[in-house]
Amino acid sequence: MSAIIETSGLSRLFKQNRAVDNLDLEIQPGELFGLVGPDGAGKTTTLRLLAGLLYVTEGSASVAGFDLRTQPESIKPQIGYMAQEFSLYAKLSVLENLRFFAELYNVSKTEQKERTERLLTFAGLTEFKERRAVHLSGGMQKKLALACTLIHQPPILLLDEPTTGVDPVSRREFWNILTELHLEGTTIIVSTPYMDEADRCSRVGLMYAGKLMVCDTPQNIRHQIEGELIEIFPDNWQAAHQIVSTIPGVLEVQTYGEALHLLVEDGENQLPKIETALKQEGIHINGARLAPKRMEEAFISLIRRIESEAEEIADE
Amino acid sequence: MSFRHIWAITRKEFHHILRDRSTLFLVLITPTALLLLFAYALTVDIQHVPIAVLDYDRSSLSRTFVQQITAGEDIDLYAQVETIGEIEDLLMKGEVKAALILSPNFSNDLLALKGLPLQVIIDGTEPESGVFAVDHIAWRAEEFVNQAVAGQLQAMGVPLDTLQPIDLRIRTWFNPDLKPRNDLIPGLISMVLGMPALSVALTLAHEREHGTLEQLMATPIGRAELLVGKMVPYIIVGLINVVVIPIIAILWFRIPFNGSFILFFVLSAIFLFSILSLGIIVGVFMPTQAAALALSFLVIFFPGFFLTGIFFPIASMPEIMRLEALGLPGTHYAVITRGIFLPGVGLDVLWPYAIMMTGLGFAFTGVAALFFKKKLG
Ligand SMILES: Nc1ncnc2c1ncn2[C@@H]1O[C@H](COP(=O)(O)OP(=O)(O)O)[C@@H](O)[C@H]1O
Ligand SMILES: [Mg+2]
Repeated sequence: MSAIIETSGLSRLFKQNRAVDNLDLEIQPGELFGLVGPDGAGKTTTLRLLAGLLYVTEGSASVAGFDLRTQPESIKPQIGYMAQEFSLYAKLSVLENLRFFAELYNVSKTEQKERTERLLTFAGLTEFKERRAVHLSGGMQKKLALACTLIHQPPILLLDEPTTGVDPVSRREFWNILTELHLEGTTIIVSTPYMDEADRCSRVGLMYAGKLMVCDTPQNIRHQIEGELIEIFPDNWQAAHQIVSTIPGVLEVQTYGEALHLLVEDGENQLPKIETALKQEGIHINGARLAPKRMEEAFISLIRRIESEAEEIADE
Repeated sequence: MSFRHIWAITRKEFHHILRDRSTLFLVLITPTALLLLFAYALTVDIQHVPIAVLDYDRSSLSRTFVQQITAGEDIDLYAQVETIGEIEDLLMKGEVKAALILSPNFSNDLLALKGLPLQVIIDGTEPESGVFAVDHIAWRAEEFVNQAVAGQLQAMGVPLDTLQPIDLRIRTWFNPDLKPRNDLIPGLISMVLGMPALSVALTLAHEREHGTLEQLMATPIGRAELLVGKMVPYIIVGLINVVVIPIIAILWFRIPFNGSFILFFVLSAIFLFSILSLGIIVGVFMPTQAAALALSFLVIFFPGFFLTGIFFPIASMPEIMRLEALGLPGTHYAVITRGIFLPGVGLDVLWPYAIMMTGLGFAFTGVAALFFKKKLG
């Protein structure tokens, strides 16, 4: 099968800043591709480039078979794009917003009627259809925004942090919708700062400083990092952090609120040793267990590795 | 161009105008408010200013002149005096605000076309009335020379075309010719009806600031479709004022409307098209609403004040500013409103201005569509 999105050496510079740097990406039809990376990594710039909204500085790309540089207007009907700071027309109602985008995408009146109804049900907005967008909750606004980008049934969806700032329930609902679209065969690229969301993607690309550092399935990425995961809940996590860092066999320590996540060589063996070491220092433990590794730990571990390598290069 | 796309934008923009109180106010009410404000602020109605007159000439011409100056409600003849001393006395006591002195050569010089030898003294402690008196006298003097003297000269057999129009070179900042409202208001109308241009500049910048423009750029809408779709509702709302404003001028300010209203309406629609295109250009180039507002004032309103000939005669402007004025729709529209209101002229006279406005409108729209890119950068 040939790629539906393909970039080769795609770069975009803002003055001297390489916001997207030599990006080689191949996305197959039907993928649910997650773009992750810290703020400023270049996720938004990548999605804007693919949507034809930014001039390309170097390299080339094709989207849905059209060349990004020369045929951006042919690409537009093929994509549904949702900007990071998506803003709907606040003064228009839910229905009016949907209808507005339907008209711009030349959706016929009969199809409009049928799709609007389906999308409203899909997004759980049917009872709010007369409400003005400004009076919707944050989560409902995002769902309406998604519905607006779906009205022309695009084969490709480009979603830039669609769930940032949304409550957990709405976030889950939003992802259920994305999963359904994925099952229907829509190609989706979604950027997200949430690692649990990255876990739900079929493939994940990790961006850092404009570069695609890792690009693989969540499973493979999780296995890229060494060790097993131990989760402990100490009373005094600052003190505990210092102590466990010195224990041999502990590869890495990450903090999650009051909890510590340790990557260790041999979990089974190490867990009791760590507990004893902490108790000896007078730190009470509310719980400690072996846990499966998640994208989150993998992501933080990878970023740390990249950053320390970058420092070494800078030092030399 | 897809009419479907244009209509989608137009309808959305209409919803925006009708549902947003400040926009609605800006496009519907501001023209009327500005008209009232300027009409009252610029035609200061000081009345019954008492003056003293010292007439050294004592000819029939000088007597007619004094009569004409003091006719009407503006200036009252408080005293006819014999000496400068008396004038000083009256001014000191504040019984008169100004004094008019006619030299012994008044009629001789006038008939010899040497000028108008008269002197006006004003009470510096109350300059408003004094300056008003000077301006009024100047204006009436011009009228006097042009009418009474011309008649007399004609009777004496002097051919009229040898006469030079008198320029008294007394000017105030606003309304320099002390035009009565009848003259001023049609000019003002041409300015206030351009208000929707400000809104259209702001709406494009508003969409850019709020991120909805990014969303629009990601759709297949054409650039010209977007710009035209945005202009249409403001033309329609602007046309409401094209009807309302003349009604206010006619009923409230009692300005005679002698021309064809249909012609006024059609030419106003063309004007709206051209001035809104200018507004669109502002919206295309400015990144934020604040910047759009600032530039609108610079290219839409300040020129409206200074270049369109409402307050300053274009003829007395430096060449380069005159050229700039020709490139502004308001300059041509001011001629049209003035022409249709009082003299009541028709298309036979006004067609060049109509053509200029149409041309400017298309040129501006073209430039806007050319420079408006569906790219963020
Ligand atoms: N319009 C712009 N002008 C200048 N610099 C920009 C612009 N957009 C993004 N950048 C820069 O490009 C880099 C990548 O930004 P962005 O793509 O927004 O990252 P992300 O979405 O991953 O947070 C950042 O350093 C950012 O400052
Ligand atoms: Mg971003």
